[in-house]
Amino acid sequence: MSIQLQVSQLSWLVKNKSILQNISFDVNQGEVIGIIGPNGAGKTSLLRCITNQIKNTANSTLSGTIHLKNKALQYYPPKQLAQHFALVSQKAEPIFSLTVIDIVKMGLLPHQGFFSLDSDHDKAQIQLALNKVGLSGEGEKNFNLLSGGEQQRVLIARALVQKAQILILDEPTNHLDVYYQHQILQLVKQLNITVIMTVHDLNLASQYCQRLLLLNQGQLICDGSPSEVLSVQQLQQVFKLPCLLEHDPLTNKPRVYFSLPTQTNDKDKIGDLDA
Amino acid sequence: MILMHKLSLKIGLLIAFVLVSLVAGVNFGPANLTNGQIFNCLIGACHNQVSEMVIWQVRVPRVLVALVAGMGLAIAGAILQNTTRNPLADPYLFGIVSGAGLGATIANLALGENINIALPLAAFLGALFAITIVVLIAKVLQSMEQLLLAGVAVSFMLAALTQFMLYFGEPFATNRVIFWLMGSLARVEMSNFYIIASILLLAIFIIIALHRQIDALLLGDESAASLGVNVDKLRLLMLGLCAALTATIVAYCGGIGFVGLMIPHIVRQLIGVTTLKLVLGSALIGGAFLIWVDIIARTALNDAEIPIGIITSALGSIFFLFIMVRSRHAI
Repeated sequence: MSIQLQVSQLSWLVKNKSILQNISFDVNQGEVIGIIGPNGAGKTSLLRCITNQIKNTANSTLSGTIHLKNKALQYYPPKQLAQHFALVSQKAEPIFSLTVIDIVKMGLLPHQGFFSLDSDHDKAQIQLALNKVGLSGEGEKNFNLLSGGEQQRVLIARALVQKAQILILDEPTNHLDVYYQHQILQLVKQLNITVIMTVHDLNLASQYCQRLLLLNQGQLICDGSPSEVLSVQQLQQVFKLPCLLEHDPLTNKPRVYFSLPTQTNDKDKIGDLDA
Repeated sequence: MILMHKLSLKIGLLIAFVLVSLVAGVNFGPANLTNGQIFNCLIGACHNQVSEMVIWQVRVPRVLVALVAGMGLAIAGAILQNTTRNPLADPYLFGIVSGAGLGATIANLALGENINIALPLAAFLGALFAITIVVLIAKVLQSMEQLLLAGVAVSFMLAALTQFMLYFGEPFATNRVIFWLMGSLARVEMSNFYIIASILLLAIFIIIALHRQIDALLLGDESAASLGVNVDKLRLLMLGLCAALTATIVAYCGGIGFVGLMIPHIVRQLIGVTTLKLVLGSALIGGAFLIWVDIIARTALNDAEIPIGIITSALGSIFFLFIMVRSRHAI
């Protein structure tokens, strides 16, 4: 497996507050990597750094290096970078009534020059991508009226048209019901490209990712396979909740259960609040 | 395929409507000319010098300026709405008219009645001055929501300055500025058409080149950046383009409000929301709209013209009330 992306000693300071600290890891071609950790751990910040969205300003200092195919990220022109990375963000809320095709077509942008028209090949690419995500024949539908799962699939279709080698997903299963959560992650896994995604649900991460990066307070706590990363001691330390780990016979992966602190502690906390 | 045919049909009908509007615009007017006389003059076989003058020096320039001004204002509104992701964005929201008003006021007060050439130039410079301040504020604040607020603030500041100068200025100059701000196509010439049309063509050329990038902004800045779009540069370029287009139109035609706000709304319902469809539709409907508004302005009263800006503002406010009521029922 060849190394596609190398992150070394990445740190990000915003107004002297450390958002990411000294993070290093490599991404191999074809890996499906899940970034896990509690809220505020720096998961989305790490994605933003990887996709070169963070710039050094008076208030924000970025240090360390990120290499894409042995070339530092900042030396890639934006258009070329868009040919390598496709981002499926959780914040896609078009304000006007865009159709599914309008959105999927946006994926052609990094490959087209000024004034270029959609060729038959482009149109075929769009149809192929829609077929792949199970939305063929839905091209003229209004994106805003689709379900959350369908919207995610449209954005993945756009990423496919973009022909990127690395797919970046920020919380792809957010606000989706169980069926769509599995449908989206199954689809992502079947694409056979490199995937880096932030996931809140540890069991979904365990089931669908080959490798997990556990972040806490901007630091990379652990990097490895789900069975290496999901250990009781580490999870309790990071999530500050008692947890139980078992082997899931259906998926053959570790399964995590969290429970709230004991009743006495709860009462203590309520008592504290009242005081 | 069927959808493409439907779209072509709609565009075809709109082009026909624009042509009908142009003919109607040349037909209507206080001078009593028969259709035959008008036709003869248009094909260069005029029998009478007065009709030739009325057609070629009054009506044709006026109708053509109405066409390009309507196109330009509607396109500027459409582009600002798509690039700022705000359906209420309008060139006027960015202080362009207030700036033009300030420029016109200064020219009027300083030069008295000899301002024929200076007025459009002063208005244009005033509009560019306003948009420069708005962009500078936005650069410091680095936020699109605040860009619109900065525009409104600058607009009020410049309007206050204009009113202060008018209050203490010469009454005739005050009158001239107030009438100019109401908007009128009564004094336009063929040269005005050439200038507005050139800027309009340049704007359309740049928009066609960048339409995919503008479309990418519709899903948000982060999404556009991930597709390789330099969001800040693109937005600044589009803002500058819309400012130059609107400033040129305002400089010759005065304040004509609501076109940039109203027309793109109609186009989104009829044609589509992506930039190319929106701009094409806005150009056709905006152009035809202003020709008809100008016809009303010229013919509604027997012995006087109504300033065109009054009519567009009145129609615009009714239109918005209609949209509000309709969306309430839709819920």
